[in-house]
Amino acid sequence: MSHIKYLLLVSRQGKVRLMKWYQPLTEKAKTKIINDLTPLILGRKPKMCNILDYSDHKVIYRRYASLYFIIGITPNVDNELLCLDLVHRYVETMDVYFGNVCELDIIFNFAKAYDILNEMVMCDGSLAESSKKEVLYAVQTMDGMDDNDKLEKVLS
Amino acid sequence: MLGVVQPVEDVKQRLRPFGLFFERSLKDLIKGIRAHGDSPESLEKYLAEELSHCREEVNSLDMNLKSNAVLKLAYLEMYGFDMSWANFHILEVMSSTGMRNKRVGYLAASQSFNRDPDILILMTNLLQKDLKYSATGGNDTYKIGVALSGVSSFVTKDLAKDIVQDLLLMLNNSKPYIRKKTVVALFKVYLQYPESLRDTFDQFVLKLEDEDRSVVSATVSVICELSKQNPSIFIQLSPVLYEILVTIDNNWIIIRLLKLFTNLSKVEPKLKHKLLPKIVELMDSTSATSVLYESINCIVKGQMLSTDDFDVAMKCLKCLNEFCISQDPNLRYISCLLFYKIGKINPQFVEQFDELILHLLCDVDVSIRSKALELLNGITHDGNLKLIVSTLMKQFVNEEVVVIENYRNAATRDVPIVVPEDYKIKLVTTIIKLCSMNNFINIPDFKWYNTVLIDLVVVSSDLKDKTRLGSMIGEQIKSVMLRVPDLRNVTMTTIITILTMEKMNLSTVLKECVWCLGEYSKLIENGDALIQLLIRNAPHFNAETKVVLIPAILKLFGSWCNGPANQDLPSIKIVLNDMIDFLDTLTTSSSFEIQERSIEVSEILKLSLDAVEMQEQDNSDEGGLPLLLCEVIPGFFNSYELLPILAGTQRRLQEEGQISSVDLITPFLTQTELSNILKDYDEIQEDGLSHTDRLSDHDGKYRSESDLDDSVANDAGNAAAGDEVHDDLHFLEEQRRQEQLSNPFYLTEESEGTKATTNDLLSLDSNDSSKREDLTLIKLASENLTANAGKTGERKKRGKAKRAVVLADEVVIEPNPRADSTTLHQKVAALNKSDRGINLVTQSQLSSFDFSKKGDDRELDDAENEAELEKLRKKFAAQSLDTSNVSEPVEDQEEVIVIKKKKKSKKKKKKNEEDVPDESNTVQNE
Repeated sequence: MSHIKYLLLVSRQGKVRLMKWYQPLTEKAKTKIINDLTPLILGRKPKMCNILDYSDHKVIYRRYASLYFIIGITPNVDNELLCLDLVHRYVETMDVYFGNVCELDIIFNFAKAYDILNEMVMCDGSLAESSKKEVLYAVQTMDGMDDNDKLEKVLS
Repeated sequence: MLGVVQPVEDVKQRLRPFGLFFERSLKDLIKGIRAHGDSPESLEKYLAEELSHCREEVNSLDMNLKSNAVLKLAYLEMYGFDMSWANFHILEVMSSTGMRNKRVGYLAASQSFNRDPDILILMTNLLQKDLKYSATGGNDTYKIGVALSGVSSFVTKDLAKDIVQDLLLMLNNSKPYIRKKTVVALFKVYLQYPESLRDTFDQFVLKLEDEDRSVVSATVSVICELSKQNPSIFIQLSPVLYEILVTIDNNWIIIRLLKLFTNLSKVEPKLKHKLLPKIVELMDSTSATSVLYESINCIVKGQMLSTDDFDVAMKCLKCLNEFCISQDPNLRYISCLLFYKIGKINPQFVEQFDELILHLLCDVDVSIRSKALELLNGITHDGNLKLIVSTLMKQFVNEEVVVIENYRNAATRDVPIVVPEDYKIKLVTTIIKLCSMNNFINIPDFKWYNTVLIDLVVVSSDLKDKTRLGSMIGEQIKSVMLRVPDLRNVTMTTIITILTMEKMNLSTVLKECVWCLGEYSKLIENGDALIQLLIRNAPHFNAETKVVLIPAILKLFGSWCNGPANQDLPSIKIVLNDMIDFLDTLTTSSSFEIQERSIEVSEILKLSLDAVEMQEQDNSDEGGLPLLLCEVIPGFFNSYELLPILAGTQRRLQEEGQISSVDLITPFLTQTELSNILKDYDEIQEDGLSHTDRLSDHDGKYRSESDLDDSVANDAGNAAAGDEVHDDLHFLEEQRRQEQLSNPFYLTEESEGTKATTNDLLSLDSNDSSKREDLTLIKLASENLTANAGKTGERKKRGKAKRAVVLADEVVIEPNPRADSTTLHQKVAALNKSDRGINLVTQSQLSSFDFSKKGDDRELDDAENEAELEKLRKKFAAQSLDTSNVSEPVEDQEEVIVIKKKKKSKKKKKKNEEDVPDESNTVQNE
C-alpha cells in the first residue's frame, strides 16, 4: 500500500511533463516543491539511492531514459520499494499501451498518461489496481468508446 | 446572417472528431511550445497567446471545441497556469454525453477542482445522473467508472452525503470493474463523511470476500488506509484478513496486508502470536525484496519484536545485512532505516554489526552515509571510537573522493562525491555526540580528544551552521578542561592554539575558551603577553565573548602578578594601563552587561594602579607587590576550585531543600546580643590594629582554612573568642564553617565575603561600622538560609562531587559506584543506561501509538466516534487549507465546527448514548 502525496514527471531539462497532486496544496506550495526537487533530483549521481528526505516527507524517484518519475510519500507509512515498483508498473503499462513508450508519447498523449495513472492510483494516492492487464483493458475500452463517439458524431 | 455561417460551422463541427481542427489542437500547442523552447521570453509570449485563444475557445458553444480547449488548459496547467477560472466550462464538458468529452472533463476536474464549494454544489446533480447510467446497461460501465474516479478525487462532505446511498447500491453491481471503483470511491466518502462508515461497515467489509481479486485488493487497500486513522475498529476483521494472507499469492496484496497488520498489531498485541510465525515463514519463502522488506517492517513497526527476542531480531538483521552489502543503493538506504529502528528496540541487537555500519559510513551515496551516522550511537565503544572518528574526520579532508562509475558503454567514469554542507554539519555534531556520550565513557585518551577538537574547530569554521557548532565545541573544551585535571596543560595548549589560529572565524567557540583561560590562568606563565593578545583580538570577539573576557583578563592579571616569576612594578604598570585603556573602550558598549562588567573591573584596576604607584614611591627598594594585587584580586577568584555538577542539581536542591520550613522571621540574634557584638567590634577597632595587620591576620587564617573565605565570619569569630557571652554565636559560626568546609559550593556567599573584605580595605577613611554590621546581619541570614537549604541535599551533592573529582583524577570518566553513593547515583546510572540506547528521534510513531491505545479499551462505537472525530479534524484541517466559502478562515473554522464541538465535549464526557441516535437521525433525514 502506498500513500502518495504527488507524482511528477520531469524531463532531464527540468520540464514538467505530468503532475498529479493527491493532496490539496496551494499553487505556491506546488511551485516550491517542483522548483526545489527538480535540481535536487537531476543532480543525483547514478550510483546514489533513489530515496531522499525533503522537508517533512520522503521523495523517491526513478529515471527512465530522459524522464524522471518523482513521487512524494509519507515517511514511516509507505514502502519505498513498493513505490519504486509502482513507478515501474506504471511505466510498464504505458510501454504496452503506447508500444515502447518514450517521452514524446507522454507529451502528446498526456491525457492518456493521466488515464492510465488514474486507473492504477486513486483517491489519496493509494494504489487501486496493480494488474497491468486490467488497467490496459479499462483504458482501451474507454478509448474504443471514444472512437465510437466520434463515429456517431460524424454520422449524425 | 446566421444562415450563411451555419453550413461552414456545421462542416467544421463534423470534421472535428477526426482530429481535423481549424482551431489549434493540443498537438499544435505542444509543437508550438517545443518550437519556442529556445528562449524563455518567446515561450512566455507564445503561452500567453495560446492562453487567450483558449479563453475564447472555451466560451464556444460547440462541445468538441470546448473540450479541446479544456484539454489544452489542463496541459498548460503544467506550465504553472491556474485553470480554476474555467471550472464552469469544465463542468459543462463533464456533463456532455459523449465518452470522449466526458473523460476530458473529468480529467480536468480532477486536476482543477480543489474542493471549490460552488462548483461542487452544481456537480451533485451531474454525478448522481452519471452514476445511474447503469440502468441502461451497455458500455456505460466505463462511464460510471469515469464518474467514480471523479468522485474519489473531488468528493466533499455534502457530496458524500448525497451519493453514499448510490454508491452502496453499486457495491453489488454485476461488473467487477464498477465494484472495484466503488470500493475506492467509498474510501474517499468515508474520509469526508465518517458517519457513513458506521452505517455501511458490514456491507463494505463483505467485499473482502468478493470473488474478483481486483475488488478484494481494492478493499484491502481501503481498509489499510482507514486503519491508519483508527485501527481498532478493524481488529474484528483480523481472522478474515489472516485467511487472505495465508491463501493469496499476489505480492502487491500481501504487502498491503502486511501494512494493515502492522497497524492492527499496534493496538492488539495478541495478534503477534498468530502473525509472527506466518511472517517469518513468509520471509523464508518469498523471493521479492519488497515483501521481505515489508515483513521486517511489519515485525518492527507492528511492535512484534520484543527486547529479548534475539532469534527473530537476528533473522531480520541478517536479512538487512544482505541488503546492505547488495549493489542496490535503495536497499542499502532502507535497511539503514530499519537497522535504526531495530536498534531502538534493543541496542544489543545491532552491536555486532559494527563492521557493516563502518562499511556503510564510507558508502558512495552520501545519503546512506548520513543514515549510517545515526546508527553509530549503537555500536560505539571505547575500542572503536578512535577508528570511527578518524573515519569520519577523513571525510572532511578527502573531500574529492573519486569513484569509478557506471559501465554504460563499457566506459568508466570518475565522479567526485559531492559532500554537502548539511552532511558535514551532521558529521561534526555526530563526532561530538559520540565522544561526549555517557560522560565521555568511550574516550580512551583525552590528549587525542584535544586534537580532535582542534580539528573540529578547523573544519567547522567554514560551515554555515558555525554559530551553533562553535558553541558546541566550546562546551566540549570547557568540559574537558574542567573534568580532566591531569591534562589541563594540554587543554590549555589547545585553547591557545585555537586562539592564535589564523583565519579563525568560528567566533562562538571563543566564549568558553576565554572563560577557561581566565579560570585556569595559573597554568599560564606569561600572562602579560596573553592579556595583550586578548586585548588585541578583542575587537573581533562577539558580545558574549566580551562579557566573559572582562573577568577573564582580571583573573589572568591576578595570576600573572602572583606567578612564580616575580614581576617588577613597571611591567605591571604597563599591563595595567593597557587593560584600563581597553576596558575604557568597552564602557560605552551597547551591551549593558559589558558596560557594567568593564566599569567594575576598570575601577578595581584603577585602584590597583594607584596602589602600584604608591608602592613605587614609598618603598621602591622593596620588590613586594601592593596587597591589592597579591591578595585581594586573587581572592576574588581562587577561593576554591570549580567542580562539575550534575545538571539539574540546583533545582533538585531547591525542591528538596524545603525552603518553606526555614524560619525567616525570628532574628538570629536578640537585641542584646547584637549590641554586644557591635560593642566587641568597636573594641577590636579600637585595639589599634591597623587595617593591614588585621587583614593579614585574617588572610593567614583564610589560607590555613583554605576553603573559608569570609572575613566577616572571622570577625564574628574573633569577637566570639573575645567574649564568652557569644558562645552560641560562635557555635553557630563553627557549625556553618564545618558545613562550608564539607561543601564548597557557596558562590554567592563567597563573593559577598570578598566584597566585604575589599570594602574593609578600600575604604581607608572612616569606616561605617553600623553599616557593616547590617551587612553582617543580612549576610548571616542569607547564609543560614542556604546552609539549611543545602543540608538536606548535601549528602547527595557530595556523592556526586566526589564522584566527579574521582572521575577527573582517573582521567577516564566512568560511573564509579562508591560506598556513599546514594539514590542520586543510581539515578545517574539509570540515566546513563537509558542513554546507551539510540535516541528516539521520530516521535510520530509514538503519538500514533498513544492514540490507538486510547481507543483500545473502549466500546467499538466509541472508537468509531474517535475515528470520526479524527477524520473530521483532518478534514477541517484540509479544508482550512483551501480557499473555503467564508472569507475569514478563523471564522470559517468556528462556524463549521458546530457539530465537531459537540463531539469534542462528548468525547470528554465519554458518554455518547444521547448523541448517537441524534446523529443517525440526521443521517436518515438527509
